[in-house]
Amino acid sequence: MPKVSLFIPCFVDQFTPEVGLDTVRVLRRIGWEVEFRPEQTCCGQPAFNTGYWNDARPVAERFVNIFRSAEVVVCPSGSCTTMVRNFYPELLAGTPLQEEAVQLGQRVFEFSEFLVKVAKVTDLGAAFPHKVAVHDSCHGLRELHLKQESRELLRHVRGVELVEMAYSEDCCGFGGTFAAKFNMISAAMGDAKAGYAEASGAEYVTASDPSCLMHIEGILRRRNSKIRTIHLSGILAQTATFAERNPRPVKPEGAR
Amino acid sequence: MEPVENLGRERILERIRAALREPAPRHAGVPGKAIFAPVEDPLDRFQKECTANVTECTVTPDLRASGRAIAGALAELPPGGIFVQDTPELRRLSVDWQYDRNIQWSSEGAPQESAQATITTAEALVALTGSVLVSAACGGRGASVVAPVHIVLATSEQLVPDLEAAFTYIRQRELPLKNSYLCLITGSSRTADIEKILVMGAHGPRRLIVVLSMKPS
Amino acid sequence: MSTASREFLRNAAEKSADLVHRGIIRKGIDQYNAAAGRGRERFSDWEAARQRCHEIKWEAVNNLDRYLLEFERRVKERGGHVFWAENSEEARRYVADLATSRGVKKIVKSKSMVSEEIHLAPALEKLGIKVVETDLGEYIVQLRNETPYHIVTPAMHLTRSDIAALFKEKLGDVDTDDPPELVAAARRALRRDFFSAEMGISGANFLVADAGMIALTTNEGNGRLSTSLPRIHLVLAGIEKVIPRLQDLATIWPVLATSGTGQPITCYNTLIGGPRGPNEIDGPEEFHVVLLDNGRSELLADVSEREVLHCVRCGACINACPVFRTVGGHTYGTTYMGPIGSVLTPHLRGIKEFNHLSYASSLCGACTDVCPVKIELHHHLLHNRRDAVNASARPWMERLTFLMWGWAVKNPRRYALAGRMARTGMRVLQALKLDGTVLDPARAWTKNHAAPPAPQKSFRELWGKQNGAG
Repeated sequence: MPKVSLFIPCFVDQFTPEVGLDTVRVLRRIGWEVEFRPEQTCCGQPAFNTGYWNDARPVAERFVNIFRSAEVVVCPSGSCTTMVRNFYPELLAGTPLQEEAVQLGQRVFEFSEFLVKVAKVTDLGAAFPHKVAVHDSCHGLRELHLKQESRELLRHVRGVELVEMAYSEDCCGFGGTFAAKFNMISAAMGDAKAGYAEASGAEYVTASDPSCLMHIEGILRRRNSKIRTIHLSGILAQTATFAERNPRPVKPEGAR
Repeated sequence: MEPVENLGRERILERIRAALREPAPRHAGVPGKAIFAPVEDPLDRFQKECTANVTECTVTPDLRASGRAIAGALAELPPGGIFVQDTPELRRLSVDWQYDRNIQWSSEGAPQESAQATITTAEALVALTGSVLVSAACGGRGASVVAPVHIVLATSEQLVPDLEAAFTYIRQRELPLKNSYLCLITGSSRTADIEKILVMGAHGPRRLIVVLSMKPS
Repeated sequence: MSTASREFLRNAAEKSADLVHRGIIRKGIDQYNAAAGRGRERFSDWEAARQRCHEIKWEAVNNLDRYLLEFERRVKERGGHVFWAENSEEARRYVADLATSRGVKKIVKSKSMVSEEIHLAPALEKLGIKVVETDLGEYIVQLRNETPYHIVTPAMHLTRSDIAALFKEKLGDVDTDDPPELVAAARRALRRDFFSAEMGISGANFLVADAGMIALTTNEGNGRLSTSLPRIHLVLAGIEKVIPRLQDLATIWPVLATSGTGQPITCYNTLIGGPRGPNEIDGPEEFHVVLLDNGRSELLADVSEREVLHCVRCGACINACPVFRTVGGHTYGTTYMGPIGSVLTPHLRGIKEFNHLSYASSLCGACTDVCPVKIELHHHLLHNRRDAVNASARPWMERLTFLMWGWAVKNPRRYALAGRMARTGMRVLQALKLDGTVLDPARAWTKNHAAPPAPQKSFRELWGKQNGAG
């Protein structure tokens, strides 16, 4: 049985664990064995993005060491995948691990990217009878060049009605520490995004990045909107029988 | 002007040279690909582009017909003088226009602010963009910008397909050596500075008229 | 926190909440996007065009001394003057000395961001010289005593009624909000100035080395009038504006127009190489080019940042930026706003004072996508952040936070404990309804986001339970 190693982003691990569990559920369904290396903690992106490269470097080196022997790594986050693939080579330039980092970057995949390009599966046997709009997370879109993958996967989900949200490629405003340091700008950008979601008629907004979704949902709830966000893995994890047994999607244990 | 002391010049050059001792990386790309589709029918393309950029283009069978077309355009304008580039062709054609307008020739000086129109030749016409290339030799700098209407007398021989060809023309005729000024004009002046609404006729001419006579093939 | 940083935060907060302002900007940007999209379609290969522009600017900037010297030689051959100014002060002094020695009372100015950068107009006004902005957008903001809101469309934050009220007050003979009539009013008012000014000042989009000419890309005609009618023409240009050949403009002109306004090419692309020539009918008697360094040579020396000097000032990155769309151009408080401003300003004006601009971004990368010369703007923001940290220009609290973070994430048990403590703390605050209050350390987040209670168990705990330990 082919095997993947999970790279679970630190905040998914701590704040949105259902994304990890749903990712596992989907991978197993299509016949992949899943392992989780518990030594992993964080890829270093928060420090790197804030300019603390000397603090991020040992964390990145640790990451490379942990995943050295993994053949395929799957991550339910475009931004974390980008960190490893696009930025580790620069962060680790001039260190003995740079070449390995480049190699590792070729073996780490964002979740939808993995399904479509590596596992080559687009029909996950999922069912999710709701109106869904896709938010194009920036890292996935502009750093990993992913756009059609999630839509392709969603098209095969039974009962789903894909609605196009206006300005789906506009940044939601999360941006990591930006959301804290410049929270008024971040909230205004999220507010604009929430407005477009409401105008689209969607019941759910999905994306490849759980951080975007956390931000958008927080703002939607603040606006007393009924719209909820759900990670792509959450939609694909819903199967027909599961949906039949549970008429409204119930988030798995550990989720909120 | 007496030469101004410019100590900064050497210091700036020194800093530049020191900085450039290390070359910067480049982005990879496939070199030498064309960025525009080739222009199939220059005259047709020129006319289409003129319509798009609001240049009034009239094609005539010969120079005489061009002269009459210009007379027609002038007849529509309010009374007042016009400024005309002093060339043998324009002198000949002007006989048809002079009825009740004062002509100031370029040999007499720069155009008056009150001129209702200016009439000049061009260096070339560019089909890709529907543009007119003028130089200081085409009646001077003010001739193509001061009056509300600018009329260009041109021939089909002056049409070049695209901008690459236009710059080849400029280089081959050594235009920068002979002129302190060149201008590629595309349409009449405009602005979108108010709510991004396009308004035609800002400070330059409100109307650009190209009268193009066909050279016998 | 620097003064500039504090001001930025205050203005950003005010503008972020201003829905009317956001609506105006959104509308303007939408129009631009539609035009620019159509513009890119006119190319048979837009990506090849970008690549070619990148190569042209790369060649120019990486051979800067050679091309500047070639440009200078040719300008002087035609009787023009070239002055190299190390900083704003030297540039201002040259212009002021020239104007006063020639008895200049009035200057007509076409758009020049460099003139804003060196704060030229106030210095000249102090000497009793009137400086008239002739670019319509610049003219409008000058009447309002404001700085340009955007480098290409300086008045995009104003509605027609704002402009109508302004003209009514300042010009007198106007009582309409019809755009063509407003433009006609500006034309009437400025006409007198074009014909009576002793000096015209312009910028330069490009300095063409093999022709010794400046290239001006405009639409209104004010640039041509300002540089043809007065007896002195002075050009202000950054040293990085040079390009090797006239032929390069065959690619650059359409690309610049497409990125700048969505046009296939702008109305007037003018090339000026000197004062009026010996056989010419009209034109200025004197031609001066002021080449400005002002920190550019230092940026040149920073090899990984050098490509920032490739910028052709099209404004596309500003239009693409969601932060700009939210806070507007004045919030930045600098000459150059948006992504290029956030990248450039710390280098030109000091990293300690201005690094906050490089942090005021979600790093979405939209700017990099649209840059016609392929500058990786958002990566340069990251580099600026790294440089700010290395220059100890960041708050000590942030330094401490990442020291602690580093300590926690290098050990899985410490990290798991930290995570559990954070989640428990959040749940307690939420239960006591204290989230979002001053007692909440995460209030920067929680005051704008409503969230259900933080999870009881982390993924690794749940995985451990499901799959056995480890």
